[in-house]
Amino acid sequence: MSFWEYVAGRHTQLLIDTYQHASAVFQCMVLATLIGVLVGVLTYRSEWVGNLATATTATILTIPSLAMIGLLIPIVGLGVAPTVVALTLYGLLPIVRNAVVGLRGVDPTLVDAAKGIGMSRVARLVKVELPLAWPPILTGIRVATQMLMGIAAIAAFASGPGLGNEIFRGIASLGSANALNQVLAGTLGIVILALLFDAAYVLIGRLTIPRGIRA
Amino acid sequence: MSPREEQHRQDERPPGEHEVGGLAFRDEVRGGEREEEPPAPPSRQQRRITWQKATFLPFVLLVALLATWLWFRGARLDSIAHQAVDDGKVWMALRQHIYLTAVSTFFVLIIAIPLGIALTRAKLRKATPVAVGVANLGQAVPALGLLVLLVIWLGVGAKAAIIGMIIYAVLPVLANTIAGLQAIDPTLTEAARGVGMSPMGVLTKVELPLAVPLILAGVRNALVLNVGTATLATFGGGGGLGDLISAGIVTQRMPVLILGSVLTVALALLVDWLASLAELLLRPRGLEGTT
Repeated sequence: MSFWEYVAGRHTQLLIDTYQHASAVFQCMVLATLIGVLVGVLTYRSEWVGNLATATTATILTIPSLAMIGLLIPIVGLGVAPTVVALTLYGLLPIVRNAVVGLRGVDPTLVDAAKGIGMSRVARLVKVELPLAWPPILTGIRVATQMLMGIAAIAAFASGPGLGNEIFRGIASLGSANALNQVLAGTLGIVILALLFDAAYVLIGRLTIPRGIRA
Repeated sequence: MSPREEQHRQDERPPGEHEVGGLAFRDEVRGGEREEEPPAPPSRQQRRITWQKATFLPFVLLVALLATWLWFRGARLDSIAHQAVDDGKVWMALRQHIYLTAVSTFFVLIIAIPLGIALTRAKLRKATPVAVGVANLGQAVPALGLLVLLVIWLGVGAKAAIIGMIIYAVLPVLANTIAGLQAIDPTLTEAARGVGMSPMGVLTKVELPLAVPLILAGVRNALVLNVGTATLATFGGGGGLGDLISAGIVTQRMPVLILGSVLTVALALLVDWLASLAELLLRPRGLEGTT
């Protein structure tokens, strides 16, 4: 059976896996972005705490994803739960780091000016600091998404959702005629998803980065 | 006080001039335009690690490993769990893991660094954006899929795993090396050429020493990536600590799973720590305090 015949024959299953992969990565990215930006906002003002947040998330990233999932299984069990926790944790690092760096990089004279025209602390943060720090944060989100695409594939080993299942089905039937088709379908599916997400982020960047600070 | 503020206060001097000790100093004017204030130094400064920080991690790891070992001794293992860990299997998995990581990292370095240097030479400079683009595109390929495809192609075993790890880690190290060499102030290389250095001299005496921090960061990156990817070698019969983790998951034996995971985490953190020490010791003195 050729690859295209395989894809045509199994397109329902493949589409379900693709959808679940994209949806898992997307939802975990939303979660990681919310938590990451919040951590960034809470920690960037203090040199010490900000560096601690960055160092902690960097340590998490050093942990191999299979080992992380292995440690999560005894705590949260198999299935969707370890996938979501692992993906969110790994997604945090680039976002926290870039949020801290971005927020610290905002020109203090601009914040001063905002204070001068009577903006409150929250208004300064929401209207001045975060928009200026948004481009690096968005870059962090892009990097994180790309990484999560691959980690989500590994999470399928712990009965997680997504295209990783296709790859693991191929491993299980290693040597059979369909093994290559299954692994290829899973891998190419993830590559396509990663590229589509990346394109979406470029578009989001165009739409959300204020014109004045566009590179 | 920034030069601009100073300027406002000293109305008696024409713009661009400062008074220091009664003498007028004129700002350098380039191209008829006043130079912008220098960009603020990057706030993410990788400062030198203090020795307290450097000993903290191994200490924590030692405690964690000791705790895991004591717990594992006390845990009740049935025959299936025994099968996964007896006969020195844990030791062997650990050794295999280190072997996979070391071999692949070695090849990554001897491929990526010379390639990065070659791609930034004048003759090949046109190919640089292509290489960076390929490197970025390659990041979209999941490590698991790449590894398994190689296993199907080359057969089960450590060879496929090592090749997969090399391909996967070459790209980021290559990108790092290129970025490091491109980030060098062109006036420095120009000056080196100006004093009569040969292209080889410029490369070895100026460019490479200046790119060392970024290249070392790439090496560390490669090591950490490879320790992680080596866990996936188990899916292609390549061995390593992934064997323990997958055996633990498949047979639902938590002690095996936890032992494998803790060992993997400890190894990854230890390798990262060693690489950070290497970064600390090998960084040229003149570049301390810079990123």
